[in-house]
Amino acid sequence: MSSNNMSDPRRPNKVLRYKPPPSECNPALDDPTPDYMNLLGMIFSMCGLMLKLKWCAWVAVYCSFISFANSRSSEDTKQMMSSFITLSP
Amino acid sequence: MKAFYVLCAVLLVFGSVSEAKFDDFEDEEDLVEYDDNDFAEFEDVMEDSVTESPQRVITTEDDEDETTVELEGQDENQEGDFEDADTQGDTESEPYDDEEFEGYEDKPDTSSSKNKDPITIVDVPAHLQNSWESYYLEILMVTGLLAYIMNYIIGKNKNSRLAQAWFNSHRELLESNFTLVGDDGTNKEATSTGKLNQENEHIYNLWCSGRVCCEGMLIQLRFLKRQDLLNVLARMMRPVSDQVQIKVTMNDEDMDTYVFAVGTRKALVRLQKEMQDLSEFCSDKPKSGAKYGLPDSLAILSEMGEVTEGMMDTKMVHFLTHYADKIESVHFSDQFSGPKIMQEEGQPLKLPDTKRTLLFTFNVPGSGNTYPKDMEALLPLMNMVIYSIDKAKKFRLNREGKQKADKNRARVEENFLKLTHVQRQEAAQSRREEKKRAEKERIMNEEDPEKQRRLEEAALRREQKKLEKKQMKMKQIKVKAM
Repeated sequence: MSSNNMSDPRRPNKVLRYKPPPSECNPALDDPTPDYMNLLGMIFSMCGLMLKLKWCAWVAVYCSFISFANSRSSEDTKQMMSSFITLSP
Repeated sequence: MKAFYVLCAVLLVFGSVSEAKFDDFEDEEDLVEYDDNDFAEFEDVMEDSVTESPQRVITTEDDEDETTVELEGQDENQEGDFEDADTQGDTESEPYDDEEFEGYEDKPDTSSSKNKDPITIVDVPAHLQNSWESYYLEILMVTGLLAYIMNYIIGKNKNSRLAQAWFNSHRELLESNFTLVGDDGTNKEATSTGKLNQENEHIYNLWCSGRVCCEGMLIQLRFLKRQDLLNVLARMMRPVSDQVQIKVTMNDEDMDTYVFAVGTRKALVRLQKEMQDLSEFCSDKPKSGAKYGLPDSLAILSEMGEVTEGMMDTKMVHFLTHYADKIESVHFSDQFSGPKIMQEEGQPLKLPDTKRTLLFTFNVPGSGNTYPKDMEALLPLMNMVIYSIDKAKKFRLNREGKQKADKNRARVEENFLKLTHVQRQEAAQSRREEKKRAEKERIMNEEDPEKQRRLEEAALRREQKKLEKKQMKMKQIKVKAM
């Protein structure tokens, strides 16, 4: 059913390379969760630092974790690590 | 401070001996250096620092009263020290006077302590205690974080196992149909990597190519976000399924021009709103597929009846009926350009590029609680995909159908052009102005005066010609109108 017994449907001469879909609009269209969480984390960490609210700082840590868990792999691990470290105060 | 205290104590001793001298000081405001006393200079300092303060009731002798009055404005500590010094001085200089404290002995200590000064036990602030209770918030938060991390690891592993199970069960079928199975686009040569591309912790891609009829097939395993605890909790409220999305790009010559979709009613309504081609070509509401033997859960969106007739052959109906619970949507289109693009500046200036595509969206059984062995249940669906590819190649519209299809496409294009007419005019106008400006600049920049003149003349001539043409056109239109 899948292939004719007589002939092989494969055509080595017709191989096309994989082209990743254009990423200009896609990251914005796809799930915006990691970006929002990143922003929230930054805001909360600043609030926690300036207003000396402990719960703000903890919420910031949680936001950064959620952002990391939902992140797209096109972003560097290094970038995420550095953003995580800036949130740690 | 200590030196000062010692000094004062010494001075008190002197004071008790030499009363008259102190009297003198008391009278005079401006103090004269009193040579008798080695410490005269210090007396100045002492007396200058005296400030007016409320009288303290101290039952001591006069001379010591004086000294205490003089020193009243100083710190409490010093006063306390003085008091000690005083009492010490007292005991040193005089015997203890019982009569002074007559009234005090009768009063019971406890009652005084109860009425006047109840002893309050102050709570030691939390941060000074060294017990677990003072850190309960931290412990709670860290526990939460640990739970999140555990869930992340478990979820990631589960998704990875599901993806691997899917690939293992489908590998044989894919390898028998495609030359290239698995490509991430980075290798120099087109060799099969033989494994999935991990885009995310919950999305896996697989590109297959090298088959008759189609350019390639992109399979995307969109699992649930098991690695995110928030998502896991949200899913407890609303069960969602893992999805497998397959997009087959067809060769231009291997597919005829039609737009067709079949799937669950909800999915079709959503697709009709979102997808550019479905909204333009399939304007009717999704129709029930019962006429063709499909179950009630499935509906059909089609450009024309002939397409539906052609597509719904026995085998396809068999596939759709048997695996209806796993099928979310099946979409064949020669005008596929993705979802509608929302642009702020109004309509885009030209139609988006279209590609002949077959799209399939399947739901993994289990609705969230999937196990690796459930992935094998999707194998027949892959057979359906392969069959559809071959069918799309074979299916051709008859003459009437082709005419209708062409008319539809022309209509859509015309509508689009009308909508963007104004914008296109503006764009053309701006382009013309740009050209003129560029030419003028060129003429200005030309250093040779002769060349300049010649270019100017050429530009003038061109403009004149244009004007003439316009005039001719206007004349023609007028004649026609008449």
